[in-house]
Amino acid sequence: MYLYLPVALTSINILIPIGLGLVVGLLSGLFGVGGGFLMTPLLIMFGIPSTIAAATDSNQIVAASVSGTYAHWKVGNVDFKMGLYLLIGGFLGGLLGVEFIKVLRAMGNAGFVIKVTYVLMLGIVGTYMFIESIQSMRKKKSEEVVQEKESRIANFLKSLPFQTRFEKSGVTHSVIVPVFLGALVGILAAIMGVGGGFLMVPIMFYILKMPMHVIVGTSLFQILFTCVEVTFLQSYTNHTVDFVLAVLLLLGSTFGAQVGAIFGHKLKADQLKILLAVIVLLVTVKIISELTLSPSLLLSQGGGH
Amino acid sequence: MKNQGLIRKAYVILQMLIVSLLLLSVDTASARLTAQANHDHITVDFFYHGSTVSVRGISDPNTDIIIKLTSEDAHQTLRKKGRVGGFLWMNVGELEIEHAPKVYSLHSTKNVEDILSKDELDKYVIGYPSLESHVNMNASDEGEKTRWFNEFVKFKESSNLYATTAGKISLTEKDGIQNYYILTQWPFQAPPGRYTVTVYAVKNKKVVETATSGVLVEQVGMVRSFADMAKNNAAVYGIISIFAALSAGFGVGLVFRKSGGAH
Repeated sequence: MYLYLPVALTSINILIPIGLGLVVGLLSGLFGVGGGFLMTPLLIMFGIPSTIAAATDSNQIVAASVSGTYAHWKVGNVDFKMGLYLLIGGFLGGLLGVEFIKVLRAMGNAGFVIKVTYVLMLGIVGTYMFIESIQSMRKKKSEEVVQEKESRIANFLKSLPFQTRFEKSGVTHSVIVPVFLGALVGILAAIMGVGGGFLMVPIMFYILKMPMHVIVGTSLFQILFTCVEVTFLQSYTNHTVDFVLAVLLLLGSTFGAQVGAIFGHKLKADQLKILLAVIVLLVTVKIISELTLSPSLLLSQGGGH
Repeated sequence: MKNQGLIRKAYVILQMLIVSLLLLSVDTASARLTAQANHDHITVDFFYHGSTVSVRGISDPNTDIIIKLTSEDAHQTLRKKGRVGGFLWMNVGELEIEHAPKVYSLHSTKNVEDILSKDELDKYVIGYPSLESHVNMNASDEGEKTRWFNEFVKFKESSNLYATTAGKISLTEKDGIQNYYILTQWPFQAPPGRYTVTVYAVKNKKVVETATSGVLVEQVGMVRSFADMAKNNAAVYGIISIFAALSAGFGVGLVFRKSGGAH
């Protein structure tokens, strides 16, 4: 059955957005990522203009992340305090990121630098997570060496002022740490036009030392607020949110997020980590192939991000 | 002698007049071209998935027919992709096109280049090469313009907004009148608006007659309400979208809680 989308001005088989929503919602509930990396290009592939695909996806993520946050909160896996500090950082980072884009654009060839940096970062993070997860699953001796290295970073973090206890995560950090890291991801998210879940999750695990299950819930909580803001701004300034498409997507994604949360709860932290590492690496390969393979069309719908 | 000269002059003028009238009658045929689109008002509701538009009419026998279905000329902005650093494909700027219709669908009994002169093609903007001459774009030279115009046509054809066919118009003759007919698919990608159907009767490499008809594509009901709200009440629309998403997320969460899903 086909349904006409009033803002995208196109018609789509309803099974496509519902199915896409289901898959992306599953990833969201499982790993605490928004899934825009997957959803936006797939929607474009099915004929949705790129600006509308990105904006409507934000609206859909609001539903998926509420559904996922709720599911994780029920089992006590959301650290609201940490999420709040990360959000403050993310907000500041977003503001800085927008200014940073202006500077990069003035320098010229900014897109090239940004894309290459992003691909490199994703590649490094994915590879590191993958190797580290395999090592920790095999419980190799190298654990001690890693611990020694990590203790230097831990000592530095402990030496910072404004230390506070994050009960849910069972960690103590200076408030500067989550605010700074949130800002860092916020800057990248603003520059790249992506949510940044793929960087936030590894940062929470390796630097903030949060337990994997709490990370997923907390990341979703943070994504929720980011996407509420993006949805409003996109619909207010660019008129690019297609409500009908968003409803079709969220029919699948809210359900998928719940299933993902249940499934994730049954997996061990290492299993979750290795799965996420594989997905991060797949995303890296996808971006590299997009950048290097000749596109079939050299033109696309213009306007906005 | 003087009278003979006058008679000769009058004879020459008369001859010229007769020849002119004969030529005129050939060029204009007998002015009986008609054009009628079966769907002159296409309504777009939630279940709209494109439509079909048939164009029919009569023309003088031995004339070829060209049917052009277009929207108004518009300004369009598209993103250009190009190689950066020799190996990466990235957005490299914007293509600004002036005087290009959003929809351009051309159907003819034969190849338009075979039945019309270049001047006539350009005059009536028939065929892609003539459309290329008609549009303006931010290209550095003619070579660049042709390159990006070809990409533009490729992009438009991929969304079914531009199309050309030759030989798909059916022609039948009865009682000295030629009937033409074509059934075309109206793409759902074509935005709402007014479209013009222009039919050209062609003879001896010239357009001898034109007739026009119109097609109106209009959003109706809820589709129209949503589209209007998104444009005119953007803040309310944004807030409704967010609340709907929040409620759906919580709603599904509650359903799962009741069914004991996450425990």
